[in-house]
Amino acid sequence: MSELPEYVHDRVFDAPREMVWRAWTDPKLLSHWYGPGVETVIHKFELKPGGVWLNEMKWGAKSDLSKMEFQEVVPQEKLVWHHSSTDSNWNIITSPMMADWPRVLLTTVTFEDAGAKTNVRLTMVPLDATDAEIACWAGAMEGMKKGWGSGFVVLDELLAKLQAENS
Amino acid sequence: MEAIGYINRQSSLDAVFAALADPTRRAILSRLAEGEASVNEIAAPFEMSQPAVSRHLKVLERAGLIEREIDQQRRPARLKAEKMAAAVAWLEEFRAFWAGSFDQLDDVLVSMKLAEKKEAKDE
Repeated sequence: MSELPEYVHDRVFDAPREMVWRAWTDPKLLSHWYGPGVETVIHKFELKPGGVWLNEMKWGAKSDLSKMEFQEVVPQEKLVWHHSSTDSNWNIITSPMMADWPRVLLTTVTFEDAGAKTNVRLTMVPLDATDAEIACWAGAMEGMKKGWGSGFVVLDELLAKLQAENS
Repeated sequence: MEAIGYINRQSSLDAVFAALADPTRRAILSRLAEGEASVNEIAAPFEMSQPAVSRHLKVLERAGLIEREIDQQRRPARLKAEKMAAAVAWLEEFRAFWAGSFDQLDDVLVSMKLAEKKEAKDE
């Protein structure tokens, strides 16, 4: 099997690298931004290889739990963790959203100076994935990167037609 | 019939993504985006036997990405947009998780900078 496709998310932050690193690695700051539009509670945060970050995201009565196991911690340069969904006892489970979504995503975050700003690159790739997980991930990343060919491009058109037919 | 319930609806996206992982199946979908077509018509541009194309069509049909006429000899296949739309929406959500978080991080960094300036001033 050729190399697995990666999810890549690049972002420039208008702050020095030292400050961006602190915002990623101080749980008090991290809980302020991790998880859009939800209340994030960090139950445990051990910033060292083998340490865990136990994360809860709440919206209304709903709650989403995940566990990150740190693999590498290189101050102001690099963070690597294994990212998984968990049950209420912090045991790794398949995604409640999708059975064949990879259970463990190897997540790498790198920090680089860009003048007075900081470039951050986040990548995710499945770890020890089953064939079904790899197929699911590969299809998803194919869509993420370049769409699914013209079938993707004409989607809006098709949906508009469907709506017109239904109305 | 469409499965009822959150889990069923979501889990069917696994099949959609798996179906889309294959380049031939993506090419077939592109062909069908231009309009419905029979197995023969779909097979023509590919160096592929009709049974092989039929197998791909079955995968796409099971994933809910296409539908086929039952009562016609030609059994033309046509694209079903809803599943594709659901898959696209799911991917958008995945990306929006990080994009939205990073927007919030921008705000956190602004507050951190302000706090530092204030500290420097107070010293």
